[in-house]
Amino acid sequence: MTAIQIDNLSKQFGDVVAVDGLDLTVEEGEIFGFLGPNGAGKSTTIDIILDFTRPTSGSVSVLGHDAQREGLAVRRRTGVLPDAYHVYDRLTGREHLEFAIEAKEANGEPEALLERVGIADAADRKAGGYSKGMRQRLIMAIALIGDPDLLILDEPSTGLDPNGAREMREIIRQESERGTTVFFSSHVMEQVEAVCDRVAIINRGQLVAVDTIQGLREATEAGETLYIEASRIDEEIVGRIQQIDGVTGATIDDDRIRVLVGDRSKFRVLETIDDSVVQVEDFSVVTSSLGDLFSHYTTDQQEVTA
Amino acid sequence: MRVLTVAKKDFKDAVQSRALWSLVAVIVLVMVFVTYGYTQIPEAFGPTDEATFGGLLFFTDGILSLFVPLTALVVCYKALAGERELGSIKILLSLPLTRSDAFFGKFIGRTGVLGVGIGVGLTIGFTLGAVLLGSVEVVPLLVFLLLTLVFVATYASIMVSLSAVTGSTTRATTLAVGFFVLFELVWDAVPIGLVYVVEGFSLPATLPDWVFLVTQVSPSTAYATSLIALLPDVAAELGASVVVGSGDVDPSSAEPFYVTAEAGLVFIALWLVVPLLVGYSNFNRSDL
Repeated sequence: MTAIQIDNLSKQFGDVVAVDGLDLTVEEGEIFGFLGPNGAGKSTTIDIILDFTRPTSGSVSVLGHDAQREGLAVRRRTGVLPDAYHVYDRLTGREHLEFAIEAKEANGEPEALLERVGIADAADRKAGGYSKGMRQRLIMAIALIGDPDLLILDEPSTGLDPNGAREMREIIRQESERGTTVFFSSHVMEQVEAVCDRVAIINRGQLVAVDTIQGLREATEAGETLYIEASRIDEEIVGRIQQIDGVTGATIDDDRIRVLVGDRSKFRVLETIDDSVVQVEDFSVVTSSLGDLFSHYTTDQQEVTA
Repeated sequence: MRVLTVAKKDFKDAVQSRALWSLVAVIVLVMVFVTYGYTQIPEAFGPTDEATFGGLLFFTDGILSLFVPLTALVVCYKALAGERELGSIKILLSLPLTRSDAFFGKFIGRTGVLGVGIGVGLTIGFTLGAVLLGSVEVVPLLVFLLLTLVFVATYASIMVSLSAVTGSTTRATTLAVGFFVLFELVWDAVPIGLVYVVEGFSLPATLPDWVFLVTQVSPSTAYATSLIALLPDVAAELGASVVVGSGDVDPSSAEPFYVTAEAGLVFIALWLVVPLLVGYSNFNRSDL
């Protein structure tokens, strides 16, 4: 069964197309990263999933329920950390949780939930006095009420220090182990890289890529790159290297051979070259970060469509 | 009841408003001042020489005609627009709650907050009045309190509904203040102005009957005449009558229904229900 099914979704605000014919499927149980630069349409998509915003066309189904017509059923089984939210300044952390527990008709101890996100000692203080990070933790605690089947987290690391971001990832992993589907958005690739099974990248309201992180690397030739210094470097050698299993590309680059390695161990590739093509004298490995990938997709794509 | 969950949360939040309690303090001061003045020198306040509890009710009615709209404005103008502008509505509607739960929960919660605030003022004022007068008229008091609660709910309905049609607190403020100015401050001049225009830019000796109807549209005027309709004996005793612009209409001698005090009850009911319907349907359709 699919957790989230988005079909040909579009949303226009006046002249601005925020989401443009988006198709996306999130399978049950996976941790799915939803990436895009600011203003790409991530939050609008999430707003439609949660029925804060009504689509111009297309449909969204969540856990088998239509997001627009059966929003209540969707939100009964979903925990949400929204984007650009604001806490109730005059209510305490505990009061926030008591309200949310009642609304979700769930059994839950405010104390235990606040403990889990690390702000139990601030339970009886008014949330208006919380720091940004504490607010983020408070809303995360609300999202976790009633063991949801789906967690939708819009930029969950906003306002958290590196330590807080790590704790957040830890909670995401724990929830995932429990069987919860996690759908989270970010404009920072590194946060997604650490936890996600699959990633979708959107830009200007359109889907530009959806794959596993490994898959994305291969698809963009931005996987691992070997730089080899060999006893002989010429076009013939490069041609033979290109034939090797697992090599997605080879070029001569500044007196070295630049070899792009796909889904095979780079050491195997290196060994094969050394054994049967040319003697390797020295080599270095460069792993492109997903950040590079991300800018590759979003900037290159923009140039293409512009 | 999900709507009550929202109402309870909203009450807890809004009842902590400083502006609310500042206004309640002003209401208490005015109530104490008027109650004391009326019981000591009744002839300065009304046609009768002797102060009665019924008379006190009618004076309080006059005070609330101003303070209920004002307090409702302050307590409710940001009820939904503020939540939308800040983004706390996203916390609310991420939970398994519908837009109708949010809207009607707000309405109930804010009615409760207003009711408590006004209730504190009335309790102090009427206790003082009962002590000074040495008597309480229980039935008129209960009728008065019930009608006032309906009036409070009516204003909560108007202000929450105005707040529901926009996501900007600036626009919500304009709407709320605009409503107050139009219907509470200058409304009496509207029917007179209409007559002036209709009669060829001059005022006739007697005002036509429909002027009364137009005057009644103002919620607080409807509240005042509703009290006359519900407590006719007390009203007659005080010589209270339905005020039309600068002149008076004696409700008992008037022919058509809309010149009777009961018209006030109809308008109160309309102000209670119609804004809720319009506000909700607007809120339900909008992108947050």
